[in-house]
Amino acid sequence: MRDNRRLRLTLVLLLLTAFTLTALDYNSARTGPLAALRRGIDTIFGPVTNAVGSGASAVGNALGGLPRLGSYQSENKKLKQENDRLRGVLAAQSGAQCQLDQFLALQHFTDVTKISPVSAKVVAVGASPQFEWTATLNVGSLDGIKPDMTVVQGVWLVGRTTQVQKRSSQVLLLADPDFTVGGTLVGQNTVGLASGRGSKPMTFSLPSTKLPVKKGTVLLTTGSDTYAPGVPIGTVTSVTPDTNAISRTATVVPFVDVTALDVVGVITQPPRTAPVQPLVPRAPGASPTSTPCAPAIPHGPVPTQTPYVSPAPKPVVTASPTTTPTP
Amino acid sequence: MSPQRFLLGAASVVTFLLLQVTVVGRLPLPGAAPDLLLVLVLAFGLAEGSMAGMVTGFAAGMLADGLSAHEMGRLAFAYALGGYVAGTFSDDADRSTLQPFAAVGFGALAALGAFVGEGILLGDHRLTVHAVLRTAISSVPYDVVLTPFVVPLIAGLVRRLDADPLRRL
Repeated sequence: MRDNRRLRLTLVLLLLTAFTLTALDYNSARTGPLAALRRGIDTIFGPVTNAVGSGASAVGNALGGLPRLGSYQSENKKLKQENDRLRGVLAAQSGAQCQLDQFLALQHFTDVTKISPVSAKVVAVGASPQFEWTATLNVGSLDGIKPDMTVVQGVWLVGRTTQVQKRSSQVLLLADPDFTVGGTLVGQNTVGLASGRGSKPMTFSLPSTKLPVKKGTVLLTTGSDTYAPGVPIGTVTSVTPDTNAISRTATVVPFVDVTALDVVGVITQPPRTAPVQPLVPRAPGASPTSTPCAPAIPHGPVPTQTPYVSPAPKPVVTASPTTTPTP
Repeated sequence: MSPQRFLLGAASVVTFLLLQVTVVGRLPLPGAAPDLLLVLVLAFGLAEGSMAGMVTGFAAGMLADGLSAHEMGRLAFAYALGGYVAGTFSDDADRSTLQPFAAVGFGALAALGAFVGEGILLGDHRLTVHAVLRTAISSVPYDVVLTPFVVPLIAGLVRRLDADPLRRL
């Protein structure tokens, strides 16, 4: 009996201690009194995780490939169908200006890729992968990594760095519900917010009901202090009309599968040629996309206070096949 | 608690945490990943009783919190309660084959409930109904599946270290 009481007392004490620590750490994870403890754990585990993770990721990948073996064939078939469908879509797309815009958007991204990102390996994931989508990279401040840098796989957006130790760093992946990034649809000069929703696809909310959001449109990052501009995020798969009549929400399937990351890149120097620019109002007529893509932007009075992003600084389009980004 | 027992606890927690973040958490299983560290905590609770379960749970949870994106202390809270619940299964006189599975299942559910309950209290927007259900129907069963691999291992190690079965923590 006494033993039981002691047990319960200890349980209550432990739970209260844990809850007090949580309360102390609440909303101040980076600066709060417990940040030092967290940094300590990260610093101790960082090098060990690097060592174990580099070897283990090979094992994990081998193991990870097993459940997928059966699906490779069906995936191949699916990809072929998708390829045909996309060809059809491309052929059906009238309006050379739209294609040019897409090309320019991709060409714009070569500015980012020209400044070669620091390549890194994902060595671990977060300790509670049920609710959080984070990853640990084997590069840190010694490699020039700082918090809030864009992480890409190939050319696609993966996430941003959060905490950085000397030889390792944490990445908040785009699937995490805490992840939000400013996004622009290709061919439209709108700025919305894309946010992660865990295992479900991302959502993209647009503070306007006038601009049509079409299925299959590619979403790019707008560019901010954190994110490099013009990095492709994903494709719009469906649009849900909002009831409040001031915004629209679309579902965006990201290009990357954040559960199967291996080699990624960290953009340590945002492109100098595409500086972060303030949102300046721009007449819709001046937009090169407005005329040929007639259905894309409705004619009529557009309030000048509507946030229009300034034209992305387009690089000189010289036909140089070497700079074509290969996803 | 002997120094050997402390070393066993510390070494197994660190090993299992490293395995969790480098391999188990990255397995592309359908649904949410299993929680190997939680299974270890529950195995200690089952092998040595509630006290060992919750103390191991608290320590392991604090370490795991340091490698997560949420506030410190949340996994410590959940794991401590889970370890306590698993420990209540160790006192049963009649040990059936299913008992370890029940201990891990209920312990994992208790830990999940504690984590979600505290998260709701803190207003964690990561805890959507979808995410919680997904964990309850994928991660918790995976934990139960890990039982026959982890529980006998820990029970054997503890028994080996502690020749006298009456001396408990």
